[in-house]
Amino acid sequence: MAKHSPVTGRYVTIDVDGMEYKVFYLQNGTGTPLVCQHTAGCHNHQWRGLLEDDEITRHYNVIAYDLPRHGKSDPPHNVEWWKQEYRLTADHYVNFIVTLCDALGLRDPIFMGSSFGGNVALQLALRRPNRFKAVIPVEAAANSPGFFLDWWRHPHANAAQVCASGVWDLMAPQSPDMDRWLTWFYYTQGSEAFKGDLYFYSVDHDLRDELKNIDGRRCPVVMMTGTYDYLTTPEESEATARQIPGGVYIEMEDIGHFPMSENYPVFRIYLKEALRIIRERTTK
Amino acid sequence: MIPDIKAWARKYESLTNNDETIAAMARYYTCSFIFDMEHARILIEMHDGKVKRIETNAGPMDASDFLLRASAATWREFSRPIPLPMYHGIWSASFRRDLKIEGNHLVLMQNLRNFTIQFELLRKSGVPV
Repeated sequence: MAKHSPVTGRYVTIDVDGMEYKVFYLQNGTGTPLVCQHTAGCHNHQWRGLLEDDEITRHYNVIAYDLPRHGKSDPPHNVEWWKQEYRLTADHYVNFIVTLCDALGLRDPIFMGSSFGGNVALQLALRRPNRFKAVIPVEAAANSPGFFLDWWRHPHANAAQVCASGVWDLMAPQSPDMDRWLTWFYYTQGSEAFKGDLYFYSVDHDLRDELKNIDGRRCPVVMMTGTYDYLTTPEESEATARQIPGGVYIEMEDIGHFPMSENYPVFRIYLKEALRIIRERTTK
Repeated sequence: MIPDIKAWARKYESLTNNDETIAAMARYYTCSFIFDMEHARILIEMHDGKVKRIETNAGPMDASDFLLRASAATWREFSRPIPLPMYHGIWSASFRRDLKIEGNHLVLMQNLRNFTIQFELLRKSGVPV
């Protein structure tokens, strides 16, 4: 008897700023849409634990997509993308997420992302608070300079291994070897996009003067960061949350920058608390 | 603290040469590096995934491809079985603590997978400072 997962994958074609994207997403569950963004240079398998978590999917429609140029989502099919350097901007990133949610007909989704996905969650809360029920920025901060590096695609080094081992100690030593190596494996697959993603993460994303304009009461913002994250440290995430009116910060012990992927059993404890807070704040 | 630096070198060499994860991709892991631990300066030469030589008293004219320099206190933090946050790797410690990476970064990047694994063997060997 074949052992099938309840998770299914589909493609949807959307147009974003003139770019034609055929987007791949994984889905499981019913209820409030919970839209999940992977980290820079990675893909949606980072959410494999959440996608098969019965306790969550009983109440949430979990959707984890591959951003274009990642995983099974190709670069745009209608432009010669190989003739220009990829640099993800905040404008395009926000437009992509909103267009995808519209295409999937998602009503009042919760958006959750980690790292550069966490940073765009803050952008969504600022720019499109009426489109989302709430956001959960994981491993995020108002700005996060320092990781837009040439090493990620240096032609004299093995870019796959540089990206994978370059993010190795973003994970906590307590996280299980299997899950850390799976995350490492995913990272060997995304080196062509990693640096361009980090243009958004370390260069274009800067909300230091905008946090006060995020309305955490209209669109609740629940931030979560692991104690082993050296890029967006717990202190930086907490400081960000404190400047957002109504912002909430949860510190995650003994976990790093890829919590959903490196140690899901620990991450889910904090995620359930974040979802409880959102339920409490959004129940009429 | 491990008082006998020669004994430490033998242990670190053995851990390296018997590590299955390094062995799984050992070919071409060839480079040299110095651990500058404030009170000790150790040159390690690697060839195809095996330790070729460990010089436990590297002098000013001993050359290497790259060098890691930090206080003895930081090296001791690196060697805990489970290091505290920010002492759990060369990236975290160079971004957030006093670790300096010097020399040819390109060689480090070319060997990053195996060097990262070998560096973490300090959690089993301890450090001689």
